[in-house]
Amino acid sequence: MATSEFYHPSLAFLMMAAVLPFLPGNRRWKWLLLLPPLAAVYAAFTNSPGDHLTISWLGQTLKLGHVDALSQVFAQVFAVMSLAGLIFSLHVNDKGQHMAALLYVTGGFGCLMAGDYLTLFAFWELMSIGSTFLVMLNRTRESVLASFRYFLYHTAGGLLLLAGLLLRHKYTGSFDFGPIPPGTATCADWLILAGFCVNAAVVPLHAWLPDAYPRGTVTGSVFMCAYTTKTAVYVLARAFPGWDILAVAGTIMAVYGVVFASMENNARKILSYHIVSQVGYMVAGIGVGTAMTLNGASAHAYAHILYKGLLFMAAGCVLYSAGTQKLDELGGLASRLPWVMVCYMVAALSISGMPVFNGFVSKTMTIAGAAEDHRTWVALGLEVAAVGTFISVGLKLPYFAFWGGKKPDPERKLKPIPANMYVGMALLAVLCLTQGVYPEMLYKYLPYQEVVAEYHPWATWNVVQALMLLGFSGLAFYIMRRVIEPHKALNLDFDWFYRLIGRGVLWLICKPISAIDAVWTIVWDKVALRLLKLLAAFSAWFDRAAIDGVVDGSAYGVKGLGHLTALLQNGRLQHYLGLMVVLALLIFAFFWYGL
Amino acid sequence: MTEEKKGFLGQFLENQLAPGRPKLWRNIFLTSLAVIAVLGVAIKNRHPHFGYDAYPFFWPVFGLGLGLALIFAVKKIIQPLIKRPEDHYGDL
Repeated sequence: MATSEFYHPSLAFLMMAAVLPFLPGNRRWKWLLLLPPLAAVYAAFTNSPGDHLTISWLGQTLKLGHVDALSQVFAQVFAVMSLAGLIFSLHVNDKGQHMAALLYVTGGFGCLMAGDYLTLFAFWELMSIGSTFLVMLNRTRESVLASFRYFLYHTAGGLLLLAGLLLRHKYTGSFDFGPIPPGTATCADWLILAGFCVNAAVVPLHAWLPDAYPRGTVTGSVFMCAYTTKTAVYVLARAFPGWDILAVAGTIMAVYGVVFASMENNARKILSYHIVSQVGYMVAGIGVGTAMTLNGASAHAYAHILYKGLLFMAAGCVLYSAGTQKLDELGGLASRLPWVMVCYMVAALSISGMPVFNGFVSKTMTIAGAAEDHRTWVALGLEVAAVGTFISVGLKLPYFAFWGGKKPDPERKLKPIPANMYVGMALLAVLCLTQGVYPEMLYKYLPYQEVVAEYHPWATWNVVQALMLLGFSGLAFYIMRRVIEPHKALNLDFDWFYRLIGRGVLWLICKPISAIDAVWTIVWDKVALRLLKLLAAFSAWFDRAAIDGVVDGSAYGVKGLGHLTALLQNGRLQHYLGLMVVLALLIFAFFWYGL
Repeated sequence: MTEEKKGFLGQFLENQLAPGRPKLWRNIFLTSLAVIAVLGVAIKNRHPHFGYDAYPFFWPVFGLGLGLALIFAVKKIIQPLIKRPEDHYGDL
């Protein structure tokens, strides 16, 4: 395959991140930020399948540009999202935030194009670093603390992946990144799976996500909601299709996410729990592993990136404008931020699977695929999650943020929202709608084209069933709207255990290890240090008495000999001749008597 | 304080808070539900996946019953067990 037919989407993002600090500070540089995503969109639609950019390094062949149907569909939506995300963040003057976002997207594309585990690992870690800064650069105490926790979780996940890929290389002699049949799994594969599951936020490894995403910058969380978990979905789809454990894990994720979202008060935390839930649909689809569910997982990842990005944009706009993301402090904003509300509702109805919006054409494909494969409990679990999704994201969040039974409060000052934020949202809202109305826009890029024609989302029964499910879920919300009213609280999640481990390590260092260190310091001071001083004193004495004595003695001896020789050199010839005779007699006597 | 200028959409949304309007929207919503439920009876599900979904009104009952149960379970059973003060971890 000729490499000239290929352009790596990461390249321009990486270059832009490298030159950004050196661009002059008149803010015109911001327009340059749109070049990498535009190039990525072009590449995503024109790159030809095959292995490009293969290089040899330390005896290994690295494949930096693997392109196939699966990577292409993810690359397309990654590219579109990067464009919308960078438009949305054009008003941000902080170059650090842009650099973090650019590096993060570089990592995302790198993972998609990786044809071997070493390349994948390198870009995987780059994503981890970039996203850590997207949280940290919010520059609040809780954001900085959350970013450190986030980095620790992802370092642990990365180490699992690294251990797995090294062991796998030992077993197979190869770093090739491809499907692993469930029956042939080794402990190396399980380690790799665990590393992927950390990034996919598989319960109970998910708690980093609702911990970090609500604390990221307004624009940073928009990027983060799109790339980390979906990159993990992509690598799971590539390496672990048909692994039953993923079908179970995905269904648990789908339900678990909506349960926690239903009790949350923080808007972006509700959306974060819904990432866990929606990624659950994709993980379940991969676990079922039929062509239709794998298509469903890919389609849902595509749709999810668009509507979840839009949800985080709209919630970010509320935070940016009103200064809070807590639902109990919001309400009555519908008439004051009407277009934010409209954009939010487009995304909320998309995630709920309402007909006309893109979630309807993607979510139902996975559920139908699971049901047709006789995974009744998986399909039923995903329907349960659909009800919870509509109640919490489709109704609860917008109701309490934009209405909540409150009239518009003229005393609440709202910061004007920059035009670029509206443009970013409008782009994604239009795509959510058009994909829902024209599903073939999405379906024609799915990896298993042979089964695409078997599913018709717009069949009359599908539409009526979706309307019944969502409509009567809405009635449940209407009846229980005072019960579900959010209040200030922290709901314990699995991060309690993570923090327990952290506190345990801290206790171990502060108590037993510190006590051992204190005892050791005393022992060192009283015994070892004294022995050392004694040894030093002996060494000093030995140096003076022995070493210096020998050296000094030699010096004095040489000096005496030199003095004697000087006395003999008196310039009188008869003395020299006499000395020679004496020396000759001594030599003669030595040989005569001595030998 | 100066009056905030609202566009067409903002004004429209504010008008919906006028007395009588919320009730009107509620009636529209309930009527739509009735229409959808009737459609669910009229249009037969030819490919039931779970058995019970072959019956008419399965999905309305599923959506309403599950929604009520979910909200009750989450807010009245689960959250009281795991709820802590906002600064429980001392991060804020």
